[in-house]
Amino acid sequence: MSRNTLKLDTRGIEELITKLEGLNGEVKKAVTEAMEKAADKISRDTDAAMSPAFLPAHGKYSQGDTKRAIVKDARATWSGTEASVGVGFDYSKKGSGGVLITGYYRTGGAINGTARMAPNQKLKEMYKGKKYMLEISNEMADVVNGYIVKAIEGN
Amino acid sequence: MVEDTLIEILESFKLPVIRQGSLPPDAAYPPAFITFWNNETIEHSAYDNETTSITYDYDVNVYASDPEVTYSQLRQIGAALKAQGWIITDFGFDISSDEITHTGRGMQAVYLETTKGE
Repeated sequence: MSRNTLKLDTRGIEELITKLEGLNGEVKKAVTEAMEKAADKISRDTDAAMSPAFLPAHGKYSQGDTKRAIVKDARATWSGTEASVGVGFDYSKKGSGGVLITGYYRTGGAINGTARMAPNQKLKEMYKGKKYMLEISNEMADVVNGYIVKAIEGN
Repeated sequence: MVEDTLIEILESFKLPVIRQGSLPPDAAYPPAFITFWNNETIEHSAYDNETTSITYDYDVNVYASDPEVTYSQLRQIGAALKAQGWIITDFGFDISSDEITHTGRGMQAVYLETTKGE
């Protein structure tokens, strides 16, 4: 499991989950699918943000360590009624270069940069910007809404 | 300009102030210094298709060879920015340093500027 398994912010879909519960819908399945789809999107977008165009000196000095640390194919895990899924970077992976993300809004070297290395603006928009997180939240809501419709139609 | 005002406030601490990432590769880290980075500048509100307020979102960071300075300086900067109307909602986070001799701490500083439809 990723050292940096995060709990995705589900505040935006809590009402929908409550509605799905009321309809005796497949809550666990819906939440799992929503979180894994969100994690997959974050993984793909993070990978794109690490492409040479967005790296310092267009990746000339990059050894690919940070890119190797990107969490991919994450699966949601449940602890009681709480689900979590790994997103971001797993610095415990071999060759990960020690870049760490400890939360949605906590970042490591790649995102905040250093005095000699500018922040990766693409990653900043993703991990610190409200717009991107809202986009993720909306996509998760779409998944849960799909299960609500399914429950209403009795499928 | 908001950024000019930010720099002015940061410079009042009598430490070098630079944009994050702009220290030349061959330049030594000063004993203590401040960096900043504009994360985003976005329209906060509009009326009749005219911008009425803008949010300026910055990271403000302190690097120092003495960790006590890293922490205390950032706190003081936070207090000074707050006194000038900046919104400071976190108490700091670790940031990476190029040099093992220095620790870095950063915080988010947000300014809401009313443009009155300018």
